[in-house]
Amino acid sequence: MEEGKGVISTLLSLFLKLSAFSVLAFGGINAILPALYDLSVNQEHWINSQTFGDYFAIAQAAPGPNLMTVTLIGWNVGGVLGAAVATLAIAWPSSIMIYFLQRTILNMRDKKKQQIIQYAAGALAVGLVLAAAWGIAAQINHSLAAHLLTIGTIAVTFFTRWHPLYLIIIGGALGVLGFI
Amino acid sequence: MSGFGGVLPWARRTIVEQEKWLTAQEFSAMLGICQIVPGPNIVNLAVCVGSRFAGVAGAFAAVLGLTLGPVALVIVLGVLYDHYSYMPIVQGLLRGISAVGVGLIASTGFKMMRNELKYPPMLAVIILTVLAASYFHLGLGWVVLLTSPLAFLLAWKRVKG
Repeated sequence: MEEGKGVISTLLSLFLKLSAFSVLAFGGINAILPALYDLSVNQEHWINSQTFGDYFAIAQAAPGPNLMTVTLIGWNVGGVLGAAVATLAIAWPSSIMIYFLQRTILNMRDKKKQQIIQYAAGALAVGLVLAAAWGIAAQINHSLAAHLLTIGTIAVTFFTRWHPLYLIIIGGALGVLGFI
Repeated sequence: MSGFGGVLPWARRTIVEQEKWLTAQEFSAMLGICQIVPGPNIVNLAVCVGSRFAGVAGAFAAVLGLTLGPVALVIVLGVLYDHYSYMPIVQGLLRGISAVGVGLIASTGFKMMRNELKYPPMLAVIILTVLAASYFHLGLGWVVLLTSPLAFLLAWKRVKG
């Protein structure tokens, strides 16, 4: 009984926190990764830093939307139900928002107003995504080699048009060989 | 969905080129909106496309179609992870992948920044956001609350100017 209560209150807390993240995620899921780390590792101690990094890696490597890091944390907290709750929580508030906003924005008579919203949200998104990359790199890269691999990835994407999957395969291979 | 390294290119191919649900312009406009509204971009896009054709039911169908498969797969991967994460090879594999993954996020950020460079004052918003989040470790809500007035002010100036 006590245990059941514990699980329900944990799931409720997971649901509420992730729902709040949803409407703050300018720039998509990547932008909220540090907040997700803070919540799941530092505040709630659902998982440790290592597991967060590993879940992030699995979500990156698996096909599908990048919100799967959230799904995995939910799964860790409360099994299949937890995975469903977490995925639903991160998606529902923003989905309702976009449902009502899309026509409003697309049909705006005043194109200038539309542009102002676009520029402002765009700048917020860039800032949050860059801050997220910085914050997450600091948490999950534990060696100089890992940081170099991150920097190398950035360089490759700047100078080539390689598909990200190749880079993920190369990174995984370097890791298996013990370099990272 | 078979979205290795991002679902977007795949979504465009299906929606615009194969099924011809939307024209390329309609798709771009829709994507633009979905990227400025907060939330998982690809879920936002599914809501937009789904609701365009079948209202609320369409939005639900599109989001479920997009997420159910990957959620099931990732749970299986989570189970495998529980069983095999003690192995050094698996640990190394995931360390390598996550280092690349962070790099991919950073380069997405830098690519998005190219648009901002057309109006350099906007860099102030980006710097403020990064400082507030990474240096002062403010919560996400505070960061957005703090930086959005400046973002809107500069966006307004850019459009009026």
